[in-house]
Amino acid sequence: MGVRRWIVRLTPYLLLAPGMLWLFVFYVYPSVQMFISSFWSGTLETGFTFSFDNWTTYSDALERYQPQFLRSLVYGGAATIVCFLIAYPLAYTIAFRGGRYKNLLLFLVIAPFFTSFLLRTQSWKIILGDDGILFGPLKDLGFLPPEFRVLATPAAVVAGIAYNFLPFMTLPIYVSLEKIDVRLVEAAKDLYAGPWRPGGTIAGAVLGGLVGAVLGGALSYPILPLAVAGAILGLVIGTFLISESFLRVVLPLSLPGVFAGSLLTFIPAMGDFVNAELLGGSPQTRMIGNVIQSRFLDNNDYPTAAALSFILMAAILAMVAIYARILGTEELTSAR
Amino acid sequence: MSAADPEFTEETMSEQRRSPAAPAHSEITRRRFIQGTGLVGVTAFLTACGTSGTGTATSSPAATPGASGEPSVAPTDAAPQSPSAGLNFANWPLYIDTDDEDETKHKTLEDFTAMYGTVVEYSEVINDNEEFFGTIRPALQGGQDSGWDLVVLTDWMAARLIRLGWVETFDLANMPNKVANLQDVYKGVDFDPTDDHHAPWQSGMTGLGYDSAVTGDLSSLEALWTDDPRWTGKVTFLTEMRDTIGLTLLKLGKDPSQATEADADEAVAEIQTALDAGIIRAFTGNEYAEDMVAGNVVLAMAWSGDVIAKQAEKETLVWQLPDEGAMLWTDNMLIPKGAQNKYTAELFIDFVYDPAIAAQIAAWVNYVTPVKGAQEVLAAEDPDLAESPLIFPSDEVLSKVKIFKSLTEEEETYFNDEFSVVTGN
Amino acid sequence: MTDSPAVAPVQPSAVVRAGRFITRNVLYVYTAFAILYLMLPVAVMALFSVNDPPGKSNVAWHGFSLDAWLNPFGVPGLLQVVETSVAVAFISTIVATALGTLIALALVRYNFRGSAATNTLIFLPMATPEIVLGASLLTLFVAIGQPPFFPTNFLTILIAHIMFNISYVVVTVRARLYGFDRHLEEAAMDLGANELTTFWKVTFPIILPGIMAAALLAFSLSIDDYVITSFTAGRTSTFPIFIWGSARIGVPVQVNVIGTAFFLIAVGFVAVTTVLQGRANRPPRPARRTDTAAQPAADRAFAPAPEA
Repeated sequence: MGVRRWIVRLTPYLLLAPGMLWLFVFYVYPSVQMFISSFWSGTLETGFTFSFDNWTTYSDALERYQPQFLRSLVYGGAATIVCFLIAYPLAYTIAFRGGRYKNLLLFLVIAPFFTSFLLRTQSWKIILGDDGILFGPLKDLGFLPPEFRVLATPAAVVAGIAYNFLPFMTLPIYVSLEKIDVRLVEAAKDLYAGPWRPGGTIAGAVLGGLVGAVLGGALSYPILPLAVAGAILGLVIGTFLISESFLRVVLPLSLPGVFAGSLLTFIPAMGDFVNAELLGGSPQTRMIGNVIQSRFLDNNDYPTAAALSFILMAAILAMVAIYARILGTEELTSAR
Repeated sequence: MSAADPEFTEETMSEQRRSPAAPAHSEITRRRFIQGTGLVGVTAFLTACGTSGTGTATSSPAATPGASGEPSVAPTDAAPQSPSAGLNFANWPLYIDTDDEDETKHKTLEDFTAMYGTVVEYSEVINDNEEFFGTIRPALQGGQDSGWDLVVLTDWMAARLIRLGWVETFDLANMPNKVANLQDVYKGVDFDPTDDHHAPWQSGMTGLGYDSAVTGDLSSLEALWTDDPRWTGKVTFLTEMRDTIGLTLLKLGKDPSQATEADADEAVAEIQTALDAGIIRAFTGNEYAEDMVAGNVVLAMAWSGDVIAKQAEKETLVWQLPDEGAMLWTDNMLIPKGAQNKYTAELFIDFVYDPAIAAQIAAWVNYVTPVKGAQEVLAAEDPDLAESPLIFPSDEVLSKVKIFKSLTEEEETYFNDEFSVVTGN
Repeated sequence: MTDSPAVAPVQPSAVVRAGRFITRNVLYVYTAFAILYLMLPVAVMALFSVNDPPGKSNVAWHGFSLDAWLNPFGVPGLLQVVETSVAVAFISTIVATALGTLIALALVRYNFRGSAATNTLIFLPMATPEIVLGASLLTLFVAIGQPPFFPTNFLTILIAHIMFNISYVVVTVRARLYGFDRHLEEAAMDLGANELTTFWKVTFPIILPGIMAAALLAFSLSIDDYVITSFTAGRTSTFPIFIWGSARIGVPVQVNVIGTAFFLIAVGFVAVTTVLQGRANRPPRPARRTDTAAQPAADRAFAPAPEA
């Protein structure tokens, strides 16, 4: 009996052992190794030597690549917001109006993932080409000035990132919307039925204005007119579509899903370099991911690259820790 | 992502509250944080113990820099001296004659196979010297086979590889054609006085490439700094530091073959003005050629043969030697240290120095051929091509091109650092 | 009690009705556009797989041609990279699914010390940007500096893929395990089965759909991975690396063909499994009874008396 109990006690550890060992050797240990290598000095030819004095690598890297870091933060944030704006109505429709077609719609949302994301991004490059399928005819018809371009601007990079992570945002929001008790929604509709209330209109106007302003900034167009236009458009949409019951009940209840989706979008977006390379390419759209990649693979400058990776990791881990404190990792991992 | 099947997660949430196995709230408590840190700390200690070992491991082969170390992999065909079954050849794109109907066919490679029976594994993977160097450096540094038998790299990178001792020495007895037909101007260069580490592949010029349908005819480097609505935002410069800074210096009226560090500062500042004005779209390797066909780029610092090759897809593309001058460079064949098929690589080098083969290649790539006798062969078949200033530049053309100065290691680091600031690297 | 006079319902004005019509339907229109937006690049990719470009650049439409479909591996090296990609995906899926399922079982079934730390460790690779994952693995292999880990090759790619797949497998299988009714296991054990038999005959078949979902997820993640692979591949090339390299000089039409083929295979696979699952889950058809005389006597005793 004693042996049996002992085996039972040991079983979880035995089950865990192979997988966790793998993760330990190939995730934890390399991360530590990378941390160590960020304190190296030297080159591949002369050999690397470890020294704590080399902490200056961190400060040098931060100072020199500060624009790229900021850019990654901004682009990642912008992409997350864009993703949110596109994904939320989509998730809402599937959850509340999907009916029998819920699974089919969800499948359609994930389906693009079945092709290589490189090919999809390359396809966007073709679609968004300066004289391509989309802009060529528009320019010929005079709707756009001939020097208008989207490629190699921040707009293209953000749009590419947002597109690539749309399912990551849609699915968690859908999951948390689905769990909302329908009776709550009905009660809210009863409660807030009646004359027009300003909530939706204001929310719409503010969002629209923000989107317009960001669009202007990203495409290097005058911000103010675009912001005003966006605000007016948002106002109209908000009045009709954003009801008070939505703002007061549905939205707050769906926040866990929104948080989960935002984190799942923002974290990889910050480290992305494929979109910046294919859809951007200009030095003014380089993100920290591009720098890490070129430092590692082109220059073999392991210390700087490792330092940059660690700074990126630290920033992300800080945000994840805050999130985990608020909601717990269980929510995050099972809300996918 | 079928992971997030809602049906499952719905049950998840309700089960979670009932099942004792799943903690309801995984907080990062102080105890767990300390546990985690302890784990990481032990790992760090173990790693640090190991690093000094690996540190010396990576440094010991380099303890004798510049010396030709023993290859860890002996060439397998050293003793029997017969051509091997395969040859791994890395080259730049658009750099060998290609069948117009089927891009996978290269007549020169087929001819080589017909003659020696070797199948050439041709990979157009080189887009930028530093980038390619980054891929072979770790292996060569560790004294291991880089995986390539033959690579084609520009002068200064060839010089660096030779200086580091990472190339095989040619057995010139295996390449009589090369010894006989190499044009004199290429002999006895300072980075390889004995001419037995490198063999020029093609020379080329960097000048202006543009789409004449959009930009009209251009002839001056000033165009690259002009904020003209026809091409602003559709201009690319090159990631090759020597080409970009070289042309910039020419535009500033200076001589790139005498470039000093002060010149580097000026050139970089000048490039920055074009960047700030929004004229430059990107710094590219070979990618500009594809973008020119797509119409995303209409004006570029371009390599002569690339533009000509793409004319088949867009007839309005033009390569122009600028008024201020152009940069001249040479790409060279090298055999990396530890190559598996060294003898076959030598045979290949010898093969392409046959004037007939050289003419065949030059007729397609439209670059300057280093092989004596190619012009005569071409004159018999295609007199117009034999007169092409791109393949056989006249003295007048040669008087307007400059070769970038051979930089010392320090200067190279300085120039590279300055340049990487403006490219955002 | 007074009679309240009947009040005729108020007809909402045309504007309000129009507003409600728009509000009700705009979401559907929006969803349609959103789905179109999601599928647009896939459609373009498929479209350009039947393009007939004169040279290497496949960026503008030149005309319809099935040449590439008839000769999908006509580009040198394409066959090898597809084989490598599929091989890596296959092996890493099997290993990662096995390891991940074990971890999920341990996490859900047992309450043990360190479960929270394990949870965090499982979650971390998913939260780490791919570039950091790839870079740290490369640093490890460089530090080892010896074959078979260095220079990086097929083995190192495999190691990397298994590593990042484990987390996704754990999360997927765990979701399925949470919903698993343990009473079934208890019932089986009451009937005399030991733990191993119970697992194989009862638990495993039920969680198999979850494991298959996890395997599918791992496979698609592995076959499409570029970033981590680019750090750990060295001279070996996989399909995404091939695409990246050829994107500079012109993506061959055949690459689009392979991409579209993968998409169609994957969609087809999911469709088939969904249909099969639907069939398996359908309740058995009730037997039709037309002849009351054939009913067992007991049934007839309880059957409603025929109408007199």
